[in-house]
Amino acid sequence: METHLRDYTKFRPKPAEEIGEVFRRANRMFVLSCGKCYKVFEQEDEGQYEQLLETLGDDASKVAGHKRVDFLCNEFLSGKKISGLDLGDSDSIGVMSCGLGVQFVAGLFEQTPVYALSDSVAHGLNYPSEVGYHGISLEDDSCAACSQCYLNLTGGICPITNCAKGLLNGPCGGATAGKCEVNSDVDCAWVRIHDRLTKRGELLSFGYVHTRDYSRPSWKTQNNLSLQNRESRGEGFYGGFHPLEKKEVTADRRIEQFAEPQTAVIFLCQHIGKRARPIVEPGEMVKVGQKIGEADGFVSAAIHSSISGKMIAVEDRPYPAAPRKELAVVIENDGKAEMHPSVQPRTGYEALPKEALLEIIKESGIVGLGGAMFPTHVKFSPPKPVDTLLVNGCECEPYLNTDNRLMIEHTEEILAGIGIVQRILSVDRVLMGVEENKPEAIAALSRFSDKYPSVQVVSLKTKYPQGAERSLIKRLLDRDVPPPPKGLPFDVGVMVSNVGTLFAIYQAVAKGVPMFQRVITVSGEGLSRPGNYLVKIGTPIRDIMRHCLAKDVEGLLEEYDVKMGGAIMGIPQANLDSAVIKGTTGLTVLRRHPVGVSEERDCIKCGRCVEVCPMHLYPLFYGLYGKQGDLGKALEHRVEECVECGCCEYICASKIALLSFIRQEKAYARSADKG
Amino acid sequence: MLAVQIKAKEEILPLISSKRLFIFECLGCRDVHYPVEEAQELIGSLDEEIVGKATLDYLCHRDYSREYIKAYAPEIDEAQVILVFSCGVGAQVLSSLLEDRKVYTGCDTLYLSGFQGLTAKEYNCGQCGECYLNYTGGLCPVALCSKNLLNGPCGGSQNGKCEVDPDMPCVWQQIYDRLARLGQLETMERLGAPKRWNASPLQ
Amino acid sequence: MKSKSNLERVLEAGHFAVTGELGPPASADAEVIRKKARILKGHVDAFNITDGQTAVVRMASWAAAVMGKQEGMDPIVQMTCRDRNRIALQMDVLGIAALGINNMLCLTGDHQKFGNHPAARGVYDLDSIQLLKMVRDMRDEKKFQCGDDIAVEPRLFIGAAENPFADPFEFRVPRLAKKVEAGADFIQTQIIYNVDKFAEWMKGVRDRGLHERVKILAGVAPIKSMGAARYMKTRVPGMDVPDSVLERLQGAPTKEQVSRQGINLCVDIIKQVREIEGVAGIHLMAIEWEEVVPEIVEAAGLLPRPVLPE
Repeated sequence: METHLRDYTKFRPKPAEEIGEVFRRANRMFVLSCGKCYKVFEQEDEGQYEQLLETLGDDASKVAGHKRVDFLCNEFLSGKKISGLDLGDSDSIGVMSCGLGVQFVAGLFEQTPVYALSDSVAHGLNYPSEVGYHGISLEDDSCAACSQCYLNLTGGICPITNCAKGLLNGPCGGATAGKCEVNSDVDCAWVRIHDRLTKRGELLSFGYVHTRDYSRPSWKTQNNLSLQNRESRGEGFYGGFHPLEKKEVTADRRIEQFAEPQTAVIFLCQHIGKRARPIVEPGEMVKVGQKIGEADGFVSAAIHSSISGKMIAVEDRPYPAAPRKELAVVIENDGKAEMHPSVQPRTGYEALPKEALLEIIKESGIVGLGGAMFPTHVKFSPPKPVDTLLVNGCECEPYLNTDNRLMIEHTEEILAGIGIVQRILSVDRVLMGVEENKPEAIAALSRFSDKYPSVQVVSLKTKYPQGAERSLIKRLLDRDVPPPPKGLPFDVGVMVSNVGTLFAIYQAVAKGVPMFQRVITVSGEGLSRPGNYLVKIGTPIRDIMRHCLAKDVEGLLEEYDVKMGGAIMGIPQANLDSAVIKGTTGLTVLRRHPVGVSEERDCIKCGRCVEVCPMHLYPLFYGLYGKQGDLGKALEHRVEECVECGCCEYICASKIALLSFIRQEKAYARSADKG
Repeated sequence: MLAVQIKAKEEILPLISSKRLFIFECLGCRDVHYPVEEAQELIGSLDEEIVGKATLDYLCHRDYSREYIKAYAPEIDEAQVILVFSCGVGAQVLSSLLEDRKVYTGCDTLYLSGFQGLTAKEYNCGQCGECYLNYTGGLCPVALCSKNLLNGPCGGSQNGKCEVDPDMPCVWQQIYDRLARLGQLETMERLGAPKRWNASPLQ
Repeated sequence: MKSKSNLERVLEAGHFAVTGELGPPASADAEVIRKKARILKGHVDAFNITDGQTAVVRMASWAAAVMGKQEGMDPIVQMTCRDRNRIALQMDVLGIAALGINNMLCLTGDHQKFGNHPAARGVYDLDSIQLLKMVRDMRDEKKFQCGDDIAVEPRLFIGAAENPFADPFEFRVPRLAKKVEAGADFIQTQIIYNVDKFAEWMKGVRDRGLHERVKILAGVAPIKSMGAARYMKTRVPGMDVPDSVLERLQGAPTKEQVSRQGINLCVDIIKQVREIEGVAGIHLMAIEWEEVVPEIVEAAGLLPRPVLPE
């Protein structure tokens, strides 16, 4: 990094005599030490405990135990860790951290004395007049948070944090050779301000005498904002964040049928599990809805043609969900749109037994349409009993409105689909989570509440990644699914299903329509025709871009990212040569940012990745060991429990390519397992 | 952690009146607090021509700001005034990278308790360099007492609330209750010596 | 004797002391002080001059005290920690001692938000207890707070305030003990209307033997109007005004009658607290109503005030 990074560690050990005094008040002390924050992250352990033992000398025998807790002031995670500790015979707790950590721990223990073994320090130039806050960076600039910003008067140099006397009306008489009388290493702030204003052609305004209002901000203002913040952060489940939703671009656009492609590229593997076996030969004519790929084994899914025409080839094509090629059936449209005779409405489907329904779902090639693409017939045959079905109507990714429009325009079909699944799973109770950014959908669903009384619609405050299974289960049922890779929702008696999947199930069972088309949202920046389109599986992405873009398609990827999915977890396309698959929830076009993630940058231990991880992990370690090339160490920090939601990478102040490191470390762990 | 409030329009207008504007908006601390709608409303209400807008996070990182300035160079050149919506750190960084341009901030910055993470705390740390927590059952009188008393409470403590705001807890009442629970009430009679306000960061 | 204070002499001689109080004007008018001082003369042993009470700007206490001294009386300079740091406080202590003033009262100070300059920065470099110790050490150790020697020390009779009615109630006696340890020679309490609660506090004081180490002056004040009564009950932090007091005043038919009741109530309370063991005197606060001080002191049987040689 070009810029020099400072060490803003917020505490130092107390003087030895004071530590001695503290230990005289205790018989046995358990020591907690914070892993520090706001310094370049270079090593996992800072050696504070060893330092303490050295200081203690003989008193070290009074230490009952020690635990390092990273980001001690993160109340949720640290609280969990501390409550799980065996404190042995200790009668007191000693804390090495800044005052926040000490106060937090003291608040946890009502009956046990908690002692500070450290002093908190400030790093501002201007202390003690002002504590200057450095923001989320390790550079020199700091802000006094005076709530009455003077920067517009001073050319952007803060007089409160930079002037030792916090003067607001020009320099005092003490500066010598441009240096401050208090600290001769430091430039006089007002000399700097004068120079800056001169450069800008602005005169110092001597007319108005500035005085500071120390009653601002009022305690009430700060307290209200703090309460708002805690409420918002704690909503529903630990972690997550609130991206700009950008739903309004397409929220009100009705689902529109997208033109059939001239050539359909239908991948044989659009699901978790084994690739389907092609059952058509080049030269054969196929019809809409005709099965062209047979499920290969139990964890696999059938593939159907989305157009009528001639099957040209089975060949490798760029896959949209991963940087590799996959086998695809290529079909040339004959323009006849002829439906296969197997596509027939089914009367009396309500009476069908569970096995028959599962067979239809399997034959129809239905997989999880929320993006996971897990074969639905397999999912609905869980090894453990399920007492609740959760319907995921969250759609927490920015820009996407696929599920939203389905809930508005095909409300009853979705509810009927839910009914079918209830029969399969023998489940009475259904909770449907819909984020409150979809008021029309919630209203539409409520209109049917009498007809479908077992489905309870719950309006949820928006927070990413609420739509992730574990977060949704926690939010709606307050149940904790055991962590990956082994834990799954049925471990706590729950099944989660996406709104789009349920619609597809209804279509398959009631209308005999197999999986050959789906709704996708095309949205983002630079589009002339954003919208929610019903597209045929296998429609080339280039076709869609040509229709929706305001500019020329060629050269698009030089300035823009095209992501399959939403803005956060969407998979960036390396080229426009791929096609729509069952898991394509949308195509999001975003102008590329001047600064992207990198594997080179240093972590500054701001602790935000830890705050946003819905799996309660510490992602900064994945970054540290990724950068140091010590991939195996990431396992010690539970990298296999990561669900790759992208929250950590999104919030990272240093823009570290955390997902890339995580994927490398998981791959390493998998190969280490096998090897 | 730093949070911002949008300045009153009357304060900003004289600085930008009839000028071509380029706007920088920092969303890095949005999850702490950033008044998105208010900012949008203000920007939307301006008559001035906006030649460009850069939305980014962590404007306080010099390296990022540099890249954004490069990427938006033509528009920034065209602008007469650069208006920044960010905390004071980001505003200062940007101002220092555009030294000879007119850069103004549209925000006031305030502080919510807590240094790291995104969640504000119910307590605070005064970073004073002489932790007094061992005599107060683990509550900081420097940061949480309106008069930063070391020998509190004062005579204005009533029903556990501070005289400054009837909703604000009196930390010395809380300290008293804590020490009572810990059986350390005699500590309340310890005479806290005058604070060395210059104890931080030097020894 | 620690000082040349008349108040100290009166208390040492065993008399039941009477101190008064006046608030300086929010102007540069010296005449206001002189007039008020003359009303109190002969009816009090010493009198306080408030220092930026409720954070409203008024003439500095030490300046008004000089005028009080010129009237031949024994002023008590009140000093708060809100407006001055330890440097200024020690400077002012040297100044008032040099001007021949013999008494001071050490206070924390009402928060600036209550006054007419809420935007001002509250200094609070020290609190009242640290201030007490600092002034006591200046007098008895002849040292400044930093440890430097003082050639001619300020010989002041040092007082502090205590509020038996503030929270937490259980701590109010220990807090007094702390002030005594820190160096308080005399104490003036917050205005008493709830005599029972005050008696409870005094019991705690006696149990710790504090009444023998420090002279406690019970705060009393006449109530001028119903408005004043209600204001004190609801808007002044740390004041305990029982409903019975309001009822007593409400019974009176005219404004003059209400004031009369207010005066009578004050006299009654003085007589009651005089009976409580350990109470060394009263502190009579008739702010902006100084003209009733003579009749209250007389009606309470506290005249004539002792005149003792220096």
